[in-house]
Amino acid sequence: MKTGRQPGEMQTDSRERDDVLLRRSANGDEEAFTLLYRRHQGPIYRFALRMTGNTWAAEEIVQDVFMTLVREPKKYDAERGALGAFLYGVARNRIMKHQERLPREIPLLNPEDEGFAGYPQAVDSTTPAHWAELRERREHVRAAVLELPADFREAVALCLLEEMSYEEAAQSLQCPVGTIRSRLHRGRALLLAKLEMLRDTPKRAIGIR
Amino acid sequence: MTCEEFQMADLDGGLSAEEGPLQQAARQHLLECPHCAALHENWQVLRTDLHALGAATQEAEAASRVELRLRQEFRTKHKTLKRRRIALVAAWALAGAAVVVCAITWFNWRLQQGQMANLQQTRGVQSTLTAANSTGSLQHVNPAGPELGEALMASNDSGEFTLLPGTMPGSLDDSTVVHVQMQRGALGALGLTVNEEHAADWIQLDLLVGDDGQPQAVRLPASSN
Repeated sequence: MKTGRQPGEMQTDSRERDDVLLRRSANGDEEAFTLLYRRHQGPIYRFALRMTGNTWAAEEIVQDVFMTLVREPKKYDAERGALGAFLYGVARNRIMKHQERLPREIPLLNPEDEGFAGYPQAVDSTTPAHWAELRERREHVRAAVLELPADFREAVALCLLEEMSYEEAAQSLQCPVGTIRSRLHRGRALLLAKLEMLRDTPKRAIGIR
Repeated sequence: MTCEEFQMADLDGGLSAEEGPLQQAARQHLLECPHCAALHENWQVLRTDLHALGAATQEAEAASRVELRLRQEFRTKHKTLKRRRIALVAAWALAGAAVVVCAITWFNWRLQQGQMANLQQTRGVQSTLTAANSTGSLQHVNPAGPELGEALMASNDSGEFTLLPGTMPGSLDDSTVVHVQMQRGALGALGLTVNEEHAADWIQLDLLVGDDGQPQAVRLPASSN
């Protein structure tokens, strides 16, 4: 049984389908739009963050993606797939545009303060030296991920960082599962190669042939 | 198992899955191929690092300012849309009102035109009547005048008016023709001679009524004769 609404509580049923919410949003229902935003902004933001490595860029991309929903809600066709996949598609386009203009942008912030490094790190209870080593290694991994070609980076970001299944990633990127698997395989090989070079500690073998 | 098959199985986490023919073959390959063993070792380290990297941003969300900006944009957009809709409705309402006003104006103008034409026609007939009076006879009077009680307006009948006794021909300028039904005996009251045998008969006739309301002349339509 539904009880009385608390102050600030959303009127919209949280289980309501995306397309229904979107229709309501298109008719001017702000609460439906807010619910839609809160439901999808997290994955889109993390995807953008992992693709760009920059919190400001990720925020801008999230804003652009949802601005598309505000301005052109009819661009989404429910028959062509889930809203999440549509939003990932818009986000990918925005990320590509961001990457295109990247060389012209001059970073104003210290790279240490951006992207993944800007988030709280797991506190290790061991020595500061170990913590610094972990931090450095993670920074290397982050840099290696960001240097991957966009297609491979997408697969790595969704499957290895967001921990989506191959099927979910394929749905989000609107491509076959085999493509995801192949991109992931090649992305992993590139990552291994880059990290071997970065660490300057050659192992017995390198993953690229 | 080939190296390629091993790498795909390793990528999919095949080695960590429950024991099966694929896992057994992969483990066997791992023992036999130093290249794949090194790759597997590196991959495990990288996987741990990637997992840690993913975990560091697992709860990351866009700042609340993004939501605020989007909601502001949403409000602005829909307010503008609402205003546009209202403006559109108002414009259509104004256009509709203008059309109605034009239609009413046109209808009134047409009505006035008709009345003017009738008036001019009446004046023309009266001029004719005046001309006829000057020659001593009343012919073809067809004016449109106001209604008088239960009297009917005269139709454009042919026939001549007979001046009632005591009426001056010159005072007929503003006269009106009315069509009335009365008993024949009542004609006696107008100064006309009446056949007593038919005094009770109902007859229809045209009366020429002056501007003082007094009958000036009378005309019997052919059917009443």
